[in-house]
Amino acid sequence: MKKKECIAMLLAGGQGSRLGALTKKVAKPAVSFGGKYKIIDFSLSNCANSGIDTVGVLTQYRPFILNSYISSGKSWDLSGREGGIFILPPYATESGGQWYAGTADSVYQNIEFMDIYDSEYVLILSGDHLYSMNYQDMLREHINNNADLTVSVIPVEWKEATRFGIITSDEEGKIVKFTEKPKKPDSNLASMGIYIFKKKVLVKALIEDSKNENSSHDFGKNIIPKLLEEGKRLFCYQFNGFWRDVGTIPEYYDTNMSFLSHNPPFELDEVESQVMSNSNIYPPQYIGADSKLSSCIVSNACYVLGEAVHSVLSTGCYVGEGASVRDSILLPGARVEPGAVVRRAILGDNCVIESGVVIGSEDPEDEITVIGNNRVMKAK
Amino acid sequence: MDKIVGLITTNYGIKEMDLIAGERTLSSLPYGSRYRIIDFPLSNMVNSGINTVGIITPYKYRSIIDHIGTGSEWSLDRKRGGLFILPGSIFGVSNSESRFMIRDFELNITYLHRSPAPYVLVTAGSVVSNMDYTGLYEAHKKSGADITMVYNIAKEDDEYLCKIDDTDGKVNKVSVGVKEGDKEFLDCFIINREKLLDIVEWYQAVNFKDLFDAIEDEYDKIDVRLYEFAGYYGNVFSVKKYFRSCMDPLNLDINREIFNPDMPVLTKGHDTAPTKYNEGCKVKNSLIPAGCTISGTVEDSVLFRNVVVEEGAVIKNSIIMQKCVIKAGAVVENAIIDMKNVIQEGIVVKGSKESIYFKEKNDKWD
Repeated sequence: MKKKECIAMLLAGGQGSRLGALTKKVAKPAVSFGGKYKIIDFSLSNCANSGIDTVGVLTQYRPFILNSYISSGKSWDLSGREGGIFILPPYATESGGQWYAGTADSVYQNIEFMDIYDSEYVLILSGDHLYSMNYQDMLREHINNNADLTVSVIPVEWKEATRFGIITSDEEGKIVKFTEKPKKPDSNLASMGIYIFKKKVLVKALIEDSKNENSSHDFGKNIIPKLLEEGKRLFCYQFNGFWRDVGTIPEYYDTNMSFLSHNPPFELDEVESQVMSNSNIYPPQYIGADSKLSSCIVSNACYVLGEAVHSVLSTGCYVGEGASVRDSILLPGARVEPGAVVRRAILGDNCVIESGVVIGSEDPEDEITVIGNNRVMKAK
Repeated sequence: MDKIVGLITTNYGIKEMDLIAGERTLSSLPYGSRYRIIDFPLSNMVNSGINTVGIITPYKYRSIIDHIGTGSEWSLDRKRGGLFILPGSIFGVSNSESRFMIRDFELNITYLHRSPAPYVLVTAGSVVSNMDYTGLYEAHKKSGADITMVYNIAKEDDEYLCKIDDTDGKVNKVSVGVKEGDKEFLDCFIINREKLLDIVEWYQAVNFKDLFDAIEDEYDKIDVRLYEFAGYYGNVFSVKKYFRSCMDPLNLDINREIFNPDMPVLTKGHDTAPTKYNEGCKVKNSLIPAGCTISGTVEDSVLFRNVVVEEGAVIKNSIIMQKCVIKAGAVVENAIIDMKNVIQEGIVVKGSKESIYFKEKNDKWD
């Protein structure tokens, strides 16, 4: 097989437990976003748009929907003859096999997969981040620096820096310090959890880490500090675009809503950086004669007969006559029956708000209301 | 269903529609915000379990091939069966008399010979309907007929559709032109494959004729019967009728019938972002696909992919095809605006309900 310059290992096994009801039955990368997408579309599209044609997807938590969604990878043009998408779940071996114990362990357990392609570089990604980025720029910088590891970083607000893995670098961009959630940060460059390794360095570090019983087998906690300690060439690559890990409900809500503005965080439909998805073919939207739509994103197969203001309506949603939806996110197939009212809420896939029911609160001080997938909210 | 192979003809036109069709065939005309008309018969085939489908292409086949590709959207990129792109006879600019020319079957005799299926379902590519062909197949099998033709009762006169005369369900005449109340042929029939091969052989000398013209004196020998389809049928045989058929899905009963999720109409997919309705937009009774940006007024209209309606622009009772931009303050009423047109600021484009204005596509080969 022709040797590849760089393949990607995409970590998609996490639950994303802080998203609560949204990830009760599906892994976070498979959560719907922005009307017609799933979160994993963003990193898969980035791969495709960056010319990375071989992607291993490491799955573990409730993988069924994710697996069927990724399918052959064709939707992202990632089903080529000499590459494509490979779903890599934990597997049994002659000595028993085990679950992935951490981000680094999951990649460690798939060293054999990486050996098949034997690429010079390996790109490690998370399947649950929202951003539009061309990894080629980062790869070129990694090569120019002759780096062993390049960590993609993004400037964050200083007061936020305590929440992230913070990178301190010298003038050349060489990493001198990496601190997980520092109390007193001396830098505001946060790690985005995107790494490019020289494959040889990665494999060696993973094997050594696997033998360390005190390690939690995590890239941020264990692998990076270890390489730093060993005096390896670690560089940071600064990304100045939009990036979110949408780890919490407020973050998920705000990021969805930011696409309603006149200046969305990034374009979803630019030729060079188009976000691709595995969407079924759905009929167009029907907007009724007595409807009122304002400041909304609406996907196909929606029937809007009532009011929808400042909201995201995903594929196949229904807003009945006289119903009112404001400041809310309707996930695919959600139904708001005639006369129902929805305020500052996230309605899960295929849930039903029956006539006369009022969901959520207009008060911005209150928490966002989340209705889980397939729930039916009945009138009292 | 491995008992049936499908055949879709896309190589005939209607003079009156040449203006709109241009380089396209009737079958590749846009319909329903994101579809081409051929999506309907092609999806009907697949939804009825037919997974070997031949498409008889027109002389100018680019638009059809571009749209259908390998047939993957219809799951027709298969090892067994699948999609077959077939040649069609070259007609003049338009040909309204012949829809199922003997010569077209003759040209594709290999396709018909190779298939092991006992039945061939033939339909024109220009039939807008969501129809499960299983009922037709069952009726055909039960009656033991050679050919079963699909019809409905004409709601109005039409000079292009064919009228079927029958005696107790047995067809004895097929003639061009229908009057309201007639049995009108919906350009779709099922035929025993062996019989079709026979007919092609028998009528070689008159292979320029339509199949139903060729056999006109032999309805006593060839058993041709009828099957009624009572569902929605959209006629596209004049600008006025095409316009009206395009508007029909604004009626929610028709909309739900033709966009029935259990019988989904499949089409070429695009990675278009969802549509954005900006603050201040006013949208009423309209059909809108993904990929649009709407800041102005849209009423009683059908938009296609990637249309931009700027603030203060007004669209009423119109069809706006893909990639058009309606600039601020422009007004479009009773019109069909074909692909990639930009209606500049303050321009008024108006037809009347009786005479729809048509603006041809502005294709710059970009």
